[in-house]
Amino acid sequence: MGRLFLMTSLGLLVLVALVLLIKRRFSLMAERYQGAPARFPTTKGLMLFVLPLPVLFAAIGALGRGNLSNLFDNAVCYGLFLWGALLLRRGLRTEADYTRRQVAKAPWPLKTLGSGVIALATALTAWSSAQYSLPIAVVFGGLALLGCYLSYGFDPRGAKRFTDRDGVDTTDRVIEALTQAEDSIAAIERATRDIRNAEFNSRLRRIVAQARQILAMLEEDPRDLRRARKFLNVYLDGAKQVTEGYAKTHGRVTAPELEDNFRRVLTTIEEVFTEQQQKLLETDVTDLDVQIEVLSTQLKREGVI
Amino acid sequence: MPDFLRKFIGLLLLFATVGIAACQAMLVSCSSSLPAISSILTQ
Repeated sequence: MGRLFLMTSLGLLVLVALVLLIKRRFSLMAERYQGAPARFPTTKGLMLFVLPLPVLFAAIGALGRGNLSNLFDNAVCYGLFLWGALLLRRGLRTEADYTRRQVAKAPWPLKTLGSGVIALATALTAWSSAQYSLPIAVVFGGLALLGCYLSYGFDPRGAKRFTDRDGVDTTDRVIEALTQAEDSIAAIERATRDIRNAEFNSRLRRIVAQARQILAMLEEDPRDLRRARKFLNVYLDGAKQVTEGYAKTHGRVTAPELEDNFRRVLTTIEEVFTEQQQKLLETDVTDLDVQIEVLSTQLKREGVI
Repeated sequence: MPDFLRKFIGLLLLFATVGIAACQAMLVSCSSSLPAISSILTQ
């Protein structure tokens, strides 16, 4: 028995080292070939869906034998494992959003909750299905919680607040504007799927990509929000309404005029979005120019230059 | 503690706890079905 445990531990050690090495290798390759960093690593947290699979097999075995209590135990434990893994993964996603944004509210503690559910599932599995004693099962649960904390960490606390030049806290307003803009972009993407025209689809994809770039710039520096108000309130909203309207209408009516008008509108939107992006970049350059000017004047005054 | 080491220990703990508890649950389930299978085979 002792030998079996030693072999199992050694096997686990080698397996964990292999998993980490492969992940590291993949992330290095991804960094090399990817221009911009991914929004959320798609494989993160997936391990917790795979590890409890033997509990599912145990439940299937119990069903085969017709052992109802064993089936119930294993099914509840597996359900808890799945729920915990889902919560943890959702928590990781919200954390990635929180990290990406300059202004954000503190996310719901989904990662902590998920870790707690996984710890509970582990303790329950060890006690009811694996027939360990209660204190050992509690140790299993505690160690699983520690493992989740060390691997994934707990949720970030505290909002990333933003105050404008007048010292007024505009965090809620900024978050609302950015969320509305994201909703509009998502609506354009949804409407694009209903349009069966390759040219319009590629144009709309370009428009969405441009809008996302502008939004990323606004997220990086929310001071630009005032300058981009027209883009958010008029152009983006207008683009959404027009695209949704065309997606609804073009299937029922075949009018070349409608297509021409839509093409013209899309061209205008593309131009306006490019202009907006350029404007934001120019503002950044102007800000930098002013900073350089101020610094050089100060250095001249102090006799350094 | 370096980030890599922290994650390594965390993963190790998860493999050890969740993995062992799940495998043990499956083994217990299989071992209780073995006598039934053997009795069917002997019949």
